[in-house]
Amino acid sequence: MSSIPPLDILESADPLATPRRVALIRPDIRPAVRTIEERYVMTFPHLIVREIILFQLVVIALALAAILVDAPLEGIANPLETPNPAKAPWYFLGLQELLHYFPPVVAGVLMPVLVVVALVVIPYARINLSAGPLWHEASAARALVLAAATAGLVALFSAFRCWPIVVPTLLIASAMFAARGGERGGALRRALARITLPEWIMFWFAVVAGILTLVGTFFRGPGWSFVWPWVSATPG
Amino acid sequence: MKGAWPVSLSRWLLDSSVYRSIVRHGVADTNRNRSLVVFENLFLHVHPVKVREKTLRFRHTYWLGGISLACALVLIATGVLLMFYYHPSVPQAYRDMKELEFVVDNGMFLRNMHRWAAHAMVFASFLHMLRVFFHRAYRPPRQFNWVIGVVLLIVTLLLSYTGYLLPWDQLAFWGVSVGTNMAKEAPLLGEKVRFLLLGGNIVSENALLRFYVLHCVVLPVGLLLLLSVHIWRVRKDGGVQGPPEEPSEREEVR
Amino acid sequence: MPDPPLGSSESEPERPLRRDFLTQLGIGACAVAAVGSGLVTLDFLKPKVLFEPPTSFRAGDPGDYPEGTVRFNRERKAYVIGAASGVYALSAVCTHLGCITRFLSDQNVIACPCHGSRFDLEGNVVQGPAPRPLPWLEVGTDSTGLLVVDTGNVVPHGRVFKA
Repeated sequence: MSSIPPLDILESADPLATPRRVALIRPDIRPAVRTIEERYVMTFPHLIVREIILFQLVVIALALAAILVDAPLEGIANPLETPNPAKAPWYFLGLQELLHYFPPVVAGVLMPVLVVVALVVIPYARINLSAGPLWHEASAARALVLAAATAGLVALFSAFRCWPIVVPTLLIASAMFAARGGERGGALRRALARITLPEWIMFWFAVVAGILTLVGTFFRGPGWSFVWPWVSATPG
Repeated sequence: MKGAWPVSLSRWLLDSSVYRSIVRHGVADTNRNRSLVVFENLFLHVHPVKVREKTLRFRHTYWLGGISLACALVLIATGVLLMFYYHPSVPQAYRDMKELEFVVDNGMFLRNMHRWAAHAMVFASFLHMLRVFFHRAYRPPRQFNWVIGVVLLIVTLLLSYTGYLLPWDQLAFWGVSVGTNMAKEAPLLGEKVRFLLLGGNIVSENALLRFYVLHCVVLPVGLLLLLSVHIWRVRKDGGVQGPPEEPSEREEVR
Repeated sequence: MPDPPLGSSESEPERPLRRDFLTQLGIGACAVAAVGSGLVTLDFLKPKVLFEPPTSFRAGDPGDYPEGTVRFNRERKAYVIGAASGVYALSAVCTHLGCITRFLSDQNVIACPCHGSRFDLEGNVVQGPAPRPLPWLEVGTDSTGLLVVDTGNVVPHGRVFKA
């Protein structure tokens, strides 16, 4: 199989373009269809039984959780008395933490909309479709752009004192630079070096979202002040 | 399975003409019948008759989509049961929560299951999205399925959010107040959307009833429709895609 | 699990294999779980506490009911009637289709406005489409000696409570 040249898919939108040679069949090389050997099994029982087992495992896990931990129920709703702190459900606590640093239009509307738009656009963005490892062309220009972007983000979020974003950004940017030239090196460095730019960005997003949510859940007490988790009451 | 009596009894049942009138194929011990089990079943026939063995492995997808779906089914089952004891009015809703907790057999258990399954579904959907991203399973022809997935994530979050208000305790009331006040900040439409959502200017009985209808009817129907399209598209795109295959999966797009 | 080749006689093992045992065990466990879930669901759906008005009510002192007294309790839909030997109670719900009857004192008869059924003071059907006599309800006393009528308990026809 190794004697077959690699597959390149070329598309040209111009119907009148000059024809170009795509492949040269040498008489001593037999054309062969490039196949990927796949083994197929019957859906029933192999997949169906796995689905059933997975469902049962999920139900068992949820039932155990339900037996061990009770859902909270506080006093009846009182529109005249705001609890302190008044926290949103956990999946919105990251947003609520952002509200601490940015005005509501930004934290409550602009950022979520930007996140959703960015997610939706992912499969249509060229960079996601054709990305190679971050430093596969180890150009100085790329390093410069990355440093500038990091500096810009850090400056922007520092201006608003948003440390839960600044700290992970600095750490991840350092990791990205550490991956440069990582083809030679230990297993960890080689694994880091293989990560593409979109993957770094998504990793950054997931880490930032996670940290914001954790801070909002465990480290915020009355008046949205900073507290240590072992001091404050259990969050809902 | 020969010899034991439950086996011969079940075999006799499965071969009987009454059973064969409901399920038209015979016992699934030939490949043809195994195909028909999937092919002739309304619910199962979104599956292909054969699957690539590689896709069955745990590390292929970590079964995260399946876990989200399982959580959704648990939520629907427990949710319907909880509906038998819940009145979406003020202050009866809160009393119903107390009744579920102290009076109804297994009321607390079902409520806990519902709440845990909700948290698990939000978390599993998010992990599923990350898994699909890092396996690059959004590339053509799967792009639009990714978009449907993002919409599904939003619907899941909205389901969780509308359900959060229903216990009508302090946690629910103020959690939703904070959230709708955030929505108010959106330019142009913010105030109007908030007014429609709450059925008024404040979180009140109207808000509770609207959130109840959204939570029990509108959003679940939306979720099921989108889920159907999402799963069907997976099938049409050739099944779940796990880690991108070697050799190089790069394609030149010009 | 491929089909055995045509023409070969498949040897049937006499005793079940371990795989078969485990399969049956698994299916049995699923059956138990399904039945258990069903029973738990059924139990969950049965209300344990009803928020309906109580069926018993106090009817005053036994001495308030000399022979011939008929008192109608509108909310509980019952007649409390004084007899020679004591006090008894009739349900005021017509046995035909559930309308509330009324006592016509001038004719000494209990009449239903819906379809014209008439009952005597012992609940027997005198006229009309009612299929059964009016049920007699349990009468007792509480600890202070006051009469208590339980509309949820039917007693045999003719049982008078001796005060």
